[in-house]
Parts: sequence; structure tokens; C-alpha cells
Amino acid sequence: MPLDTMSDEPDEVLLALFANGNASAARALTARLTQRVMGHAYRLLGNHAEAEDVTQEAMLRLWKIAPDWRQGEAKVTTWLYRVVANLCIDLRRRARGVALDSIPDPEDGRASVTDHMQAEARAEALQAALDQLPDRQRQAVVLRHIEGLANPEIAEIMEITTEAVESLTARGKRALTAALAGRQEELGYGDE
Amino acid sequence: MAMSDKDDMLGLEVFFDAARRHAAEPSVALLARIDEDAQAVQALARRPAPHPTRRHTLSCQLYRLLGGWPAVTGLATAAMAGVWLGISLPEGILDGAGESAYLIDVAPELAFDLAGGDF
Repeated sequence: MPLDTMSDEPDEVLLALFANGNASAARALTARLTQRVMGHAYRLLGNHAEAEDVTQEAMLRLWKIAPDWRQGEAKVTTWLYRVVANLCIDLRRRARGVALDSIPDPEDGRASVTDHMQAEARAEALQAALDQLPDRQRQAVVLRHIEGLANPEIAEIMEITTEAVESLTARGKRALTAALAGRQEELGYGDE
Repeated sequence: MAMSDKDDMLGLEVFFDAARRHAAEPSVALLARIDEDAQAVQALARRPAPHPTRRHTLSCQLYRLLGGWPAVTGLATAAMAGVWLGISLPEGILDGAGESAYLIDVAPELAFDLAGGDF
């Protein structure tokens, strides 16, 4: 099946085609999912190179699980968000355990509006604030407010209750608000 | 006064929106690596499962040396017949052997010479 005719196929169908040896299905899934996986990994890690490694590993796990994928049980994206989060949490824990002091602090001037467009500066400021959150809070806030997922799906990804998701996002947002409060003027917070 | 959740969101939504519009992009090299991984996994799945290697045991070699199943069948039949004869010898084969048997002297003149007598 040619690549351009696969754009409407659900992820699960493409995964089944991939498992049957269809190379176009692999390219279609790569094009469809890699950016989302990479974006999520970066928001959880705050490091581009590490996010790329996690993205490659997550996609490799997807290729490997394709023959055993059980249709209708879970969405491919739900499974991927979970794999990415687990890989990121493992990576951060290893980094903390091995070299706590080697993790760079957020750069004070990296969100300067003189160097970046305002929106980009805000995105970077948010990333710096996200980096300070506990892993689970960060994951919940990113899934809810950046990826735009509903609480039940987040609960499935994080394997917790929807109430726990609400609690994590509420605490995460409070911490983000506190972290970003001092930068309102710098980032044009009040211009909106 | 602590801000309510709604107030929090009014402020944070600007940042979340900016983050959505400035997502990290995968590099071309990363996309190529992912594609290579996919091809490698598919190639591995296409490879036929290796046949179990035949073990050339001593008994297998002997079986082939004897000529395969026809020869082995004949040998087995002969062996079984031998065992049967050994266990239950049919009557008549040795019955009266002691009475009916007699010595045939195939070289009587030699026996005479050896005896050294003049019988």
C-alpha cells in the first residue's frame, strides 16, 4: 500500500501492516508519531539530545511489539506516552543517582526576549519551570495542558485514578505559577 | 491572597500555548535512525526460523552404515529368532542324539599307525 494512501488509516492498522512486513506502514507511522513522541520526551527531559535517544528507543519498542499488538486494547499513542514517560523517568533517576551535581541549573538569561521571539521565550521559561517539578507532576501537567489529553486517558497512561491525575495537575500548576510569577514583565505576561 | 485555579490557568495558558507552538522537532538524522530500526526489525522477522540441527549420533551413523531400515529389520528378525531358539528349543532337534549318534572314523589307517600296535 503506498504511503499517501495510508494517511487515513488508524495507528493500529498501520502497526498490523508493519508487522506483516509493509515498509510503507513503517514510514507512515514514523512520520505520524515521531514528532509527538519527541515533543513529549523533550518536555519531560528538557534536553534535546536525551529526548532524541528516548524517542528512538520508544519507536524501537513499538516496532518490536508490533507482532504481538492486541487490537482494540489500547491506543498506540497511549502506549507510547507511557513508554516515553517510563524511559524519561528512568533516565532522570539514573542521572540523579550518578551525578547529581552535573545536571545544569536552568540558565537565568535563556528566556530573554531580546534573544528570542516572545512565544519561544515563554516556551523555554515554561520548560525551565517544568524541569523543576517532580516527575509525576510534570508528566500529568504536560499530558493535560500541552498534549491536551483528557483525564481518563492520562489516568490510563500513568496507571492511576482520575482523581490522582487532578491532584497532580493542580499541584503542578500551582508550582508552575509560583515559578513563573516573577517573570511576568520580562515575558510580556500581562500583554495578552 | 492565593490565586484560584482559574486565575492560575489564565496566566499559565499563555505559556502552555507557547509550548504547543514551539515543540521540539526531531532531526533528520533521528528520523533516519528510526527508519533503519524499523527495517532491521522487519528483516529479522522475515528471516526463517533456523532448522534444528540434526545430531549425528553414533546410533544414527551405525544405522546408515548397516543400510537403513531394510537391513536393520532383517537383523532384528534374525536376532529375535535366535533368542527364541535359545529360550525354547523345538522338540526333536536333540532328542535321541545320544543314542543315534555314532563315530565315523574317516582315517582308520592313521589311527592304526598312531596306536603303534598290530591289531
